[in-house]
Amino acid sequence: MKQLKNFGEFESLRQELKVKEAENEKKVRIYIAMATCSIASGSAKVLEYFKEEMPKQPVEFVIKPTGCLGLCHSEPTVEVVLPGSGPVVFGKVDTKRAKLIIDEYIKNGKLIDGVIEEN
Amino acid sequence: MACAIKEKEIKEKVAEICKEFNNDPKELIAILHKSQNHFGFLPKEVQTAIAETIHIPASKVYGVITFYSYFTMEPKGKYPISICMGTACYVKGAEKVLKEFEKQLEIKNGQTTPDGKFSMNTLRCIGACGLAPVIMIGEKVYGSVKPEEVAKIIKEYE
Amino acid sequence: MKSKQIKIALRNCGHIDPEDLSDYIARDGYKALSTTLSGSRETVVQTIIKSGLRGRGGGGFPTGKKWELAAAVKGDKKYVICNADEGDPGAFMDRSVLEGDPHSVLEAMAVCGYAIGADEGYIYIRAEYPLAIKRLKIAMAQAKEAGLLGQNILGTGFNFEIGLKYGAGAFVCGEETALIKSMEGNRGEPIMKPPYPAQKGFMGKPTNVNNVETFANIPAIINKGADWFASIGTEGSKGTKVFALAGKVKNVGLVEVPMGTTLRELIFDIGGGIVGGKKFKAAQTGGPSGGCLTEKHLDTPIDYESLKAAGSMMGSGGLIVMDEDNCMPAVAQFYLDFTVEESCGKCVPCREGNKVLYQILNKITHGNGTLEDLKKLKDLSEIIKSTSLCGLGQTAPNPVLSTLNNFYDEYYEHVVEKKCRAKVCRALIKYIIIPDKCVGCGACKRACPAEAISGEIKQKHLIDQDKCIKCGACYQKCKFNAIIIE
Repeated sequence: MKQLKNFGEFESLRQELKVKEAENEKKVRIYIAMATCSIASGSAKVLEYFKEEMPKQPVEFVIKPTGCLGLCHSEPTVEVVLPGSGPVVFGKVDTKRAKLIIDEYIKNGKLIDGVIEEN
Repeated sequence: MACAIKEKEIKEKVAEICKEFNNDPKELIAILHKSQNHFGFLPKEVQTAIAETIHIPASKVYGVITFYSYFTMEPKGKYPISICMGTACYVKGAEKVLKEFEKQLEIKNGQTTPDGKFSMNTLRCIGACGLAPVIMIGEKVYGSVKPEEVAKIIKEYE
Repeated sequence: MKSKQIKIALRNCGHIDPEDLSDYIARDGYKALSTTLSGSRETVVQTIIKSGLRGRGGGGFPTGKKWELAAAVKGDKKYVICNADEGDPGAFMDRSVLEGDPHSVLEAMAVCGYAIGADEGYIYIRAEYPLAIKRLKIAMAQAKEAGLLGQNILGTGFNFEIGLKYGAGAFVCGEETALIKSMEGNRGEPIMKPPYPAQKGFMGKPTNVNNVETFANIPAIINKGADWFASIGTEGSKGTKVFALAGKVKNVGLVEVPMGTTLRELIFDIGGGIVGGKKFKAAQTGGPSGGCLTEKHLDTPIDYESLKAAGSMMGSGGLIVMDEDNCMPAVAQFYLDFTVEESCGKCVPCREGNKVLYQILNKITHGNGTLEDLKKLKDLSEIIKSTSLCGLGQTAPNPVLSTLNNFYDEYYEHVVEKKCRAKVCRALIKYIIIPDKCVGCGACKRACPAEAISGEIKQKHLIDQDKCIKCGACYQKCKFNAIIIE
């Protein structure tokens, strides 16, 4: 990132990034928890799987490794946001479940078991 | 073990590490971290070399090492086993897992097997409480460990 | 059900890539710093005071007041320190923030630096958190490159550099004076206050120490306003608190709830209740310095004052749930074992007193305790509390006192009836074979390392209680549930 020299430069960068973020909302967004316990539960493989499989799908997407949502009981967790709908968090995701998430939810909008309701 | 590392080699490496931190005694803990990373443990020879290089008494180095549980003066086994004894792991039965490792390996917590293969120690909390009880062998984390699984886990390394 | 959680400190965790500064900025990152730098120092301090934010590391000291003190001290050099030495077993909220949203801590430290007039900050972090360290380093480099940290930030002439210092596994270093000693390359032994770090801290200079979660709240307060923050929580405790739910609760994890949420809501609504349908027995808050809350506290709103009144404390936010299978004297002993090992040894009450407490508890859990011992436990605890030098010693007897107060019957059973109802204390339990269920398979006999089991194949087996070492091997091996613990 280039050096920001004053408030004005910072503000225009901020606006620019916000516009970009808004554009992302038109895409399928996949957030994969990559904190210590997520990784210990196998999230790195899940991240790799999505990175490999998603480009083969006919949808626009963003994949982001993130920190954790605090749902230790269900790690690895993956949050998927389809354009125009609310976030859905899937728990205990392995590559097998990752495939289901892509085939059922991302491609057809059908929910699968193991969705975590945050309370 | 300690004598196996040549003294000259130790001095050179220690000098190199200390220089990275400008030989500043205030950086002692950082120097110890780096030294332990390199040597695996902090034997007397390393301690005196550090003391000489940054011009502080060896007793001060020893005092700091013994104060912090992260530093060790004992060589670790090829496969260091760490058993988390944080509260979450404790209430979920970590003690039974610890006892089972002691039984299987015939060493006590803190010791190394005579063949140098396994060493055992307890940790306070590795922050993976969702997987309690947790153990680590090297960098690998095992979650929800049951005492009856211990023998199988050890076998992976035999 | 409407979510009971409100995420302020954890607002970005799980929603941004912690290794990408753009993600953070797109979610209002560094906006608080930019706002701060365009205003006066006093404004920032007043905003934080008005928000009512209190230290999330355990003590609960008003954060704004702390900043005001440090700002008022005259000095050419001051420091900002972030305490990330999360040593409380069972607590991992700081790790989560640092791994999921490292920039929010960096930004808040810079804001604090501007407010108190410091140009240098350090994060004191546990060496046991390699991933958090890695992400902090990346974040520091990115922020510096973008001119959001370092020299002449956003062209305002304000300089702020941040460095890392590593802890090495000493619980007492969470105490701010001990932490400073450790940062200076010494044994982390606490010193008497005053002078407070605000007057004479790191390298003898005025220093402000806050913990990770406290800092993580700052940017949100500045962006959304002190009034917004103060509208959440209770009269004396504003905002939210992150708890690490662990132990025998179904949904183990991190939750962030408004102050004033009850223990019942936390454990049963958010936590999903107890694993395996067992009965709730106690919840431990405040780690080794805290106490056990019981069924009668389930509807107490959680804030700094009410937890204290209930004989526990907020602590850093570890919340360990225990069920009927946990033995309370053994739990107290577990915590004392921790304190004895972590006591720095500088002052006598903590060094020697806690050791004696541990020995008495050991006697009790081994079936050798007396009623006299229970009284001794109480008296000695009071002495240690009132005469120790630092927070570690002053709070170390809390687990003993709170279990004694809330579970006196269990202690009584241990010393008088020689019974452990949770069947944890080995010396107080017996393994018995129920003749009706025993099919005589001999599995238990073969498993017994002490040759304490007799009986021929297809005959009823019997455990010789004098020889039995209570290892439980037979219990594990029996496929017919013929062995019970009494």
